[in-house]
Amino acid sequence: MSGSKTRSSSDRRILDEGTRMRRHKRQLEALEKDNHHDDPHASFAHLLNKVKLPSFSDGTEKKRRKTRSNADHFKQRFRKTFQSLLEELATNNNNNVKGPSYLTAAAPPSKFPPRHFCAVCGFPSSYKCVSCGTRYCCTRCLGTHQDTRCLKWTV
Amino acid sequence: MIDHTHLNMAASSTTLVLDNGASSLKIGIEKETEPVSVPNCITRTKTERRKSFIGNQLDDIKDLSGLYYLLPFQKGYLVNWDTQRQIWDHVYQSLLKITPSDLNLIVTEPPFNFQSVRDAMIEVLFEEYGFSSLTLTLPSSLSSFHQLMEYPERPCTLVVDSGYSFTHVVPYYRGKALLESTLRIDVGGKLLTNHLKEIISYRQLNVMDETYVMNQVKEDVCFVSQDLYTDMRKARGKQDTNTISLDYVLPDFTSVKTGYILPKGGKQHGTSEEQILRIGNERFSIPEILFNPSDVGIHQMGIPEAIVHCISTTPKPMHRYLYSNILVTGGSTRFPGFRERVLTDVRKLAPDTYPVDVTQHDRPDLVPWLGGQKLAQEGREGAGGHLQSVTQSEYKEGGLAQCHKKFYDNQIILHSNYN
Ligand SMILES: [Zn+2]
Ligand SMILES: [Zn+2]
Repeated sequence: MSGSKTRSSSDRRILDEGTRMRRHKRQLEALEKDNHHDDPHASFAHLLNKVKLPSFSDGTEKKRRKTRSNADHFKQRFRKTFQSLLEELATNNNNNVKGPSYLTAAAPPSKFPPRHFCAVCGFPSSYKCVSCGTRYCCTRCLGTHQDTRCLKWTV
Repeated sequence: MIDHTHLNMAASSTTLVLDNGASSLKIGIEKETEPVSVPNCITRTKTERRKSFIGNQLDDIKDLSGLYYLLPFQKGYLVNWDTQRQIWDHVYQSLLKITPSDLNLIVTEPPFNFQSVRDAMIEVLFEEYGFSSLTLTLPSSLSSFHQLMEYPERPCTLVVDSGYSFTHVVPYYRGKALLESTLRIDVGGKLLTNHLKEIISYRQLNVMDETYVMNQVKEDVCFVSQDLYTDMRKARGKQDTNTISLDYVLPDFTSVKTGYILPKGGKQHGTSEEQILRIGNERFSIPEILFNPSDVGIHQMGIPEAIVHCISTTPKPMHRYLYSNILVTGGSTRFPGFRERVLTDVRKLAPDTYPVDVTQHDRPDLVPWLGGQKLAQEGREGAGGHLQSVTQSEYKEGGLAQCHKKFYDNQIILHSNYN
């Protein structure tokens, strides 16, 4: 009985450091999202596009470009993403524009050791899942973790 | 054409103050007692397929479940100008019914704003809206000005501004920001709400699409623990001994219009239709992330440690004054217990010889606007030299360079300039 248990746990895949870090990065990115779901208008707009798209000839493209308004011009100039702003900043820094910036202002790591909480129930945790490194506090929570998330978030 | 004698004076007598936050903008004429708070977003619902709701039109939405957000800001910086202009248009024209050309504008931008974002901001406000004059400043600068007006004898203020996108710790010396010592913690209200959504969805009920509802839950139930492990122990308790856990009735937007905490020991749930969340250690583990970002794997100092680190990088003679005048502002400092916890933790970490004091306004999210109001009034009386405005005509003559000089050089102080 106990033998089979050991085997089954040693059979579990163990995630390498790279995979764990990618997984962590994805979790942090999820915390930055404005919406979890899709724009309810998107399917509608998409449908419109679909109807219109085939009718676009070179001629209409040209016409469209000509009638671009000032607002569109503005959009072109200032259309940025946060990522492109960061890249711009990096270029400026290379060109010796010195001084404090977004990049230098990030708070450094804490001097205190991290605290650990169970990913399942949120209470203090003393254990780490062998397969993926997620924290858990008791066998019950470990079971839940293995049944739900353990190796399922890795794709 | 240009009246040079008035070049340095604001061209209009009325000033509009706009604290342009990533989650809500606080706006109002300086004569008002309080600003209007408008959601700085365009929202869409599942049911109304062809309508978007701009800013405060959100109040017209009956069913707020599955609300979809379009935000002008990304990671705390203004990048979606289309969205921002639609919201500003609506606020100026329909909500406040103002004529920008009759007004001076004091408007905020985040610390370390990117050059191109600032250029766009100035261009839009002067050329499209035609404001009479413009002052571009940091929310924390307005807050420090507010503090300076209340406590003129204090030369330094350490402003902690915890908003939607992030938290900044900014030291001030006589109203000027010490940018070299300024720190940013990448935790704000958005991350807290998203984390709450995530753990509730995993533990109980899928609420991943319910940003609006879960943000309300966060505001209704969360508090800052004064003793984490004791509260953890309490949250494990059964029924009567458990002073932490509570039941929260989620709104269904038909019979329950707004969510609420179910009174303890009250009768069993009225209808079986009600959807109830059991909230336990989440009540304090969510705000805890502001104090320990490493709880969610963000390798940064929390607020109290960042305060101490920030002060340690300022010129030594300022340390005492900064420790004794910490001002906490921003929507994410509204959790009960926030001020007390900052005070306790900073007290533990600070050198014993320095007195530590933490101030919090009863509406910490409005302090930058109130500071802007004071600045507008102060500026009109001609005192100080704190109000750095550029008029339309100055802008036409000097362009963006003129603006940068005024807005930036006069509002910050570098360590090398301090003596
Ligand atoms: Zn557990
Ligand atoms: Zn695992």
